[in-house]
Amino acid sequence: MSIKLTPRMTDWIVVNGVHIALATKKGFSTVIVSESIEVNVDTIKVDLTPSQIHQIENIIVENPLAAIAPGQLGSVRAPYQFKGMAKVIENNLEIKVEEIYCTKPGAEAGIRLDTMGYEEMKAYEESRWTDFAPRA
Amino acid sequence: MAVLTEEMKKVLKVVGKGGAVVHLTTSSADGKPNIVAERFVTHYKDEYILIAEMFAQKTKVNLNENPVGCISIAHPVKDHTWVFRGPCTIISHASPNHYKWHDIIAGEVLKDWGDWAEKEPPDEVPPDIVPPKLAQRGVIVLKVEEVYTFDSEHSGQVIL
Repeated sequence: MSIKLTPRMTDWIVVNGVHIALATKKGFSTVIVSESIEVNVDTIKVDLTPSQIHQIENIIVENPLAAIAPGQLGSVRAPYQFKGMAKVIENNLEIKVEEIYCTKPGAEAGIRLDTMGYEEMKAYEESRWTDFAPRA
Repeated sequence: MAVLTEEMKKVLKVVGKGGAVVHLTTSSADGKPNIVAERFVTHYKDEYILIAEMFAQKTKVNLNENPVGCISIAHPVKDHTWVFRGPCTIISHASPNHYKWHDIIAGEVLKDWGDWAEKEPPDEVPPDIVPPKLAQRGVIVLKVEEVYTFDSEHSGQVIL
């Protein structure tokens, strides 16, 4: 089941970009980074360059699982990990998000957020952070 | 084996301004990737990168069955679009002092980096994001065997 991203999640990854982890079925991992992101409800859409397509197209065909984390200072300010199924459509990578984790180090590391439901997930964010959007 | 350049060592060891931040990617043996930001990072010798192991639960599970990782630079990223890939493990405080992994001796690396909060307290990390308690269980070690760029125009191109 896919899950809708909150406005905080969306704002941080759109402004800071993302690191996308993929792996072959034998566990050989690779990473691409993009700063050209759109979020549409439960889907993260990434513009790909030809070299990025070349790097990942065979891996995606073999194994569509993807893990995504916010880039730059979003990595610490917005400690989320998004997991889902990825596919390349023309020059884009589209990932339908199915799981969301909090990766804040310490006692809350690895807490699964999406199972809380959308409103609870927003309440969780509001109880922990005041920076609901990155500084311009 | 790849030898880290002086510039790479400098970026992996930013002093002040909150320090460097990297993402550590691991995968299960059957290809489920996992990516987590890591704030406590440094180079070690000429070809290793260390990260404080602070309850990296999925990372630990993955490394136990598939001991390979990728470390990508998240900050400072300008002109530092590097991904370091190679064998990766966790050396825990429960390891015997003489335990050896590649050129790493557990007792030596844990003596130097086994208490990151004592050695490099995160004084410059803003209070709203600093962990309330730094509980370190050991160090994650990656032996750099390859470095490639994630620059979007040359993504995947090996540079070391």
